[in-house]
Amino acid sequence: MSTNNQAITSEQFVHLRKNQPRFEGIESGHRACLGCGEALAARLVTEAAGPDVMIANATGCLEVFTTPWPESAWRLPWMHSLFENAGAIAAGMEAALKAQGKHTKVLAFGGDGGTFDIGFQALSGMLERGHNVLYVCFDNEAYMNTGIQRSSSTPHAAMTTTSPPGSERMGKRHLKKDILSIVAAHHIPYAATASVAYPSDLRKKIRRAMAIEGPTFIQIHSPCPLGWGHDGADSIKVARLAVQTGLFPVIELERSELIGSMPIRNPRPVTDYLELQQRFRHLFDKDDTRAVEELVHIQALADHNIKHYNLRGEGMDALDSDGADSVRRGGMRWA
Amino acid sequence: MKLTRGSFAFPGTTLGYKTGTWRIQRPEHAHRRAPCHAECPAGEDPQAYLALLDEGSPRDAWECLVSANPLPAITGRVCPHPCETGCNRGQYDEPLAIHSIERFLGDEAIAHDWPYPVTAAEANAPHVAVVGAGPAGLAAAYHLLRRGLQVTVFDETSEAGGTLFSIPDYRLPREIVRAEIRRLLETGISFKPNHKLGRDIHLQDLQQEYAAIFLGPGLMQSREWNVDGVTPTDLHEGLHLLKQWSDVSSLPEMKSAAVIGGGNTAIDIARVLKRNGVDTQIVIHSSLPDPEHPSEEDMRAIPREIDQALEEGIQIHDHHGVKRLILRGEKLTGIEIVRMRKLRNDKGRLHRVAFEGTESILHVDQVIPAIGQVIEPTGMENLLNGSSWLKVDEWGQLAGKDNIYAGGDAIEGNSGTVTEAVGNGRIAAQAIAAKLKQQELPAIDKSESIPFESLNMEYFEPAARAEQALLPVEERVGETEIESGLSGRQASREAKRCFACGNCLRCDNCWTLCPDSAVLKTEEVMVDGSYYVFDYDYCKGCGLCANECPSGYIRMLDE
Amino acid sequence: MRKALEGSQAIAQTVALCRPQVVAAYPITPQTHIVENIAKLVADGKMDCELVSVESEFSAASLVLGAVSAGSRTYTASASQGILLMSEVLYNIAGLRVPMVLTCANRAISAPLSIWNDQQDSMAVRDAGWIQLYCADNQEAVDTTIQAYRISEATELPVMVCVDGFTLTHTLEPIDIPDQDMVDTFLPPFNFKRALDPASPTSVGTLVSPDFYPEARHSHHHALLNAADEIIAADADWKQLSGRSAGGLLSVDGPDDARIGIITLGSVYGTLSAARDEYPDLPATKLIKLRAYRPFPIDALHTACTGLTDLVVLERALSPGYGGIVSSEVHAALSGMATVPRIHSFAVGLGGRDIPLDIYRKLHDQIDVPEPGPFTIIDVELEKLPVEDHGSEQSASG
Repeated sequence: MSTNNQAITSEQFVHLRKNQPRFEGIESGHRACLGCGEALAARLVTEAAGPDVMIANATGCLEVFTTPWPESAWRLPWMHSLFENAGAIAAGMEAALKAQGKHTKVLAFGGDGGTFDIGFQALSGMLERGHNVLYVCFDNEAYMNTGIQRSSSTPHAAMTTTSPPGSERMGKRHLKKDILSIVAAHHIPYAATASVAYPSDLRKKIRRAMAIEGPTFIQIHSPCPLGWGHDGADSIKVARLAVQTGLFPVIELERSELIGSMPIRNPRPVTDYLELQQRFRHLFDKDDTRAVEELVHIQALADHNIKHYNLRGEGMDALDSDGADSVRRGGMRWA
Repeated sequence: MKLTRGSFAFPGTTLGYKTGTWRIQRPEHAHRRAPCHAECPAGEDPQAYLALLDEGSPRDAWECLVSANPLPAITGRVCPHPCETGCNRGQYDEPLAIHSIERFLGDEAIAHDWPYPVTAAEANAPHVAVVGAGPAGLAAAYHLLRRGLQVTVFDETSEAGGTLFSIPDYRLPREIVRAEIRRLLETGISFKPNHKLGRDIHLQDLQQEYAAIFLGPGLMQSREWNVDGVTPTDLHEGLHLLKQWSDVSSLPEMKSAAVIGGGNTAIDIARVLKRNGVDTQIVIHSSLPDPEHPSEEDMRAIPREIDQALEEGIQIHDHHGVKRLILRGEKLTGIEIVRMRKLRNDKGRLHRVAFEGTESILHVDQVIPAIGQVIEPTGMENLLNGSSWLKVDEWGQLAGKDNIYAGGDAIEGNSGTVTEAVGNGRIAAQAIAAKLKQQELPAIDKSESIPFESLNMEYFEPAARAEQALLPVEERVGETEIESGLSGRQASREAKRCFACGNCLRCDNCWTLCPDSAVLKTEEVMVDGSYYVFDYDYCKGCGLCANECPSGYIRMLDE
Repeated sequence: MRKALEGSQAIAQTVALCRPQVVAAYPITPQTHIVENIAKLVADGKMDCELVSVESEFSAASLVLGAVSAGSRTYTASASQGILLMSEVLYNIAGLRVPMVLTCANRAISAPLSIWNDQQDSMAVRDAGWIQLYCADNQEAVDTTIQAYRISEATELPVMVCVDGFTLTHTLEPIDIPDQDMVDTFLPPFNFKRALDPASPTSVGTLVSPDFYPEARHSHHHALLNAADEIIAADADWKQLSGRSAGGLLSVDGPDDARIGIITLGSVYGTLSAARDEYPDLPATKLIKLRAYRPFPIDALHTACTGLTDLVVLERALSPGYGGIVSSEVHAALSGMATVPRIHSFAVGLGGRDIPLDIYRKLHDQIDVPEPGPFTIIDVELEKLPVEDHGSEQSASG
């Protein structure tokens, strides 16, 4: 039996939309793909950051799908300049606001390409100079806007259009760059990872970074249904498994010291994560010894993360990989 | 459209672009019956009152509960709770303690004297006669009243309650039965005690005087029992012993007894005997229930009661039958029992087979049959036509009788629980009211309940089920109720365990996880019971909300 | 008040008078002295701004773009490789139509590596959509820097002030630095209407479809063309205040009846001017000082060239495989005249090669031919090259 009642008028929709009990930094009508992890992440970030911000956004999907002139999805002062300069644009905004005696917080947004690769230098400069900027990296592990090319964030063995598997290759040969450690090594006050599968944790970290005077960095694992080859409806499931397998450690660093992590209650085998994604399908050919080896390799990487960051939980914890996304009646997720 | 300098854009202007046109599937709120609701013989929707309790409104929760079942303090104690068997949480950790919540709400209502949410009928409203003030009759009366009809309830005894008084106090204290029924009758139901059908009142007269009749006669007569035609002269039947115990708190003198039967009456009388110092055993041809492997051969009594009986030291000889009474003169000194199983014969029909060589003797001075009850036909002979049961349709209407309805244990095929009797009364009242007011009768909801697989367990955490405190065996003496109710704190914590299967948990997941801000949160609850609407102008139909709805309340439909 | 100052020092003091709130730069010879002087002014509390020493020219340009977008007046300076590294940002800044001033301390481009002066760097970003103003001396650099802010902010176009590296930046000259009141009178406080603001949040840097991209380019092109009026007005207003003109779009010096003209950009003008006095017997010659290269002042050039039979285009960069960059534009610009002078195209002083006074005589020799020759780098000494690199007979003739 369906008692779906959508019998509300378009005026009521307009009223509702204007009166949502949260800050809406990004409006509907943007052109992100179905189930886009990055769109969700950006919405959660801006929601937690609030209206008194100014954003520098690197070239990438987020930029393209939010601002097809004459439209913009943003309800925040927002600027896109180039691919590789979000860190510097943000630094300039911050310098200007400081000169003007304003306290608006500057955010910089970049994808993994704009952060790990081409924008890395500007990011490093921004961090080194101590600008009061929160840099958010929406990590979807490849150049998605240009059609799924490998980046230094692409995980080992993943298939992209520039790391295709073949008789001589099993996808990307190299490892995912440990950007968080590199960023944290700038001795910045706060650097953390987060995942769209854990919105409360993500928002908490954004609020924490917002309150810090100085450069902060948050890397958000944001599934790309198109680039990873999974159903858009599974974006959260995939993101959650990345955490639960140990492949994407959710951690916090202060002045490059590990100060917190999301414990994994029951580590899941990496195959649970990999098998949902077409980018790893070449690893599931049981007759291919290379594929078998790569699966073992990826499991070893996950195990290494769990050991290195001491992610294994000790019993049930409300903030662990199973507890941190629990819900309750009436909303009000944890944190 | 004029190009802006530097090609800047104004905020939120993508709203002009309706991404809803991309959609090939749409999400919809799809209420589906929770298994607890589908399984409840009384028609309760436990997830609905659990929600209200979770929201901190126990009184609203009770009102929601009594909109189906006006006797929750009673059924919360005696119902075998198929709701809990069905509860999806049972497949995750442990089912919700629904019966404990039901009892808690019933007790709270008594303690705070919350009035039933009904108003007395108008003086000119049609008047319905209810015969029998047991659970079926009382439920029918209450639901007739709720629907604006006048009701008079007749009972042959001096007090309303019927079969409820044959349930021993340690399970169902009489003061609870009396308190709940008193409050119920005070809603405006006219009660006429000491009116026996066929003696003080007659069907023909009632048909003349009342717009409709509901019969809830119960099964007040024990089924006949003998072994090869032999019975001891001082034979006491289980049901009558229970009544006697209930009425005068005394039992015939005996040292040891074998109770024959596996229903609640058998267990009840066995436990009453045990409390009175009688060494009691139970002989039953069916099996002790195994929660892992429920079977049709299981004893009919509530498994919890069986467990408690075993704890209390009552030996149950399952898969046994009585082969012979051992009499010294007319006095029983023991019974010979033998192992039996139900097997199929070569025609495929089930029959009992006794296994030679498995005989054993129980040395008892009483054998107490409790093998079931039958209807007491006085005054209903014309309706029964020699049958042992009243035959009714799904609305409780007697075949071929325009305005006569029936419910409760006397109905053919009835499971014999208080809860089912309540459900019969409710459904019949619904049908009677519709008929008298010349309204359409809505179809009975027989939809499948939502399966466990439709829920998303990622969003729930294991949590221990609330358990009612149970008296230790050594303290289970006399009439003391052995289970105590939940505290308010326990009850509200337990309510938080509910998955809200097939209903909106109001958890904000869809609202939180929509990448397109196409789920809007509403200020007031919507008529579908949720607090969210889909903005189809922008929903791209990705299905994330449906996947991530913890309660299976969102489904995707092709456009 | 006239003071003997190094060009860079004068420029730094002038920048301070313009009150930029954010300055960002990355060191590159010969721009360094400008930024070092600004750093010292800031360190001494004589200049109130956020000075950000960034990690690259790319970030320098990006940072001032971010700052101006957030509503602050900005300044940056660079040269050579730095200009090329920031070229992507320069296009972006101009396309976004934001005001700012950049000093290009003109320097040659590697390879081969040269730290010395020519104008290949600013020529390389000719099409970035910036206003380009070339300064003939350090006084012009001072006056142009002040004017550049007013022009930039009035037109919402960035301005590149081109100052020859070393030749100007590292040369001590008596320079009149205006006082703060005069600059404040001339230059209103910064007020960029399209600055980002949480109170009215606009989005800058959008994706424009083919339906509007040509219109955006048209608009940008015409903004630059229209900027000519503001360049003229700013110079005129500044002259009224300070008594000095920096030369408007272009300026002409020489007798009205001269039949020969030499057009130059930047400091080579000073050399030619001095040389003209050295060679009074050579035919009367007008010196045309092209100050505004973008927008390109076609009408003013027509006027300046009316009556000329020969026009020498003397530039400090080239488009290899074609020839002169400025000369090709002059050719095209003059093609509409009733009588088009013969145009002679030369490059000179590449990579810091000295431009001696006798260049003036050499030029007159070069144009005394039946037909103008091809583009020539005027002081190339072919004997320094292997024979196979001498080029064709004709092109090597100069």
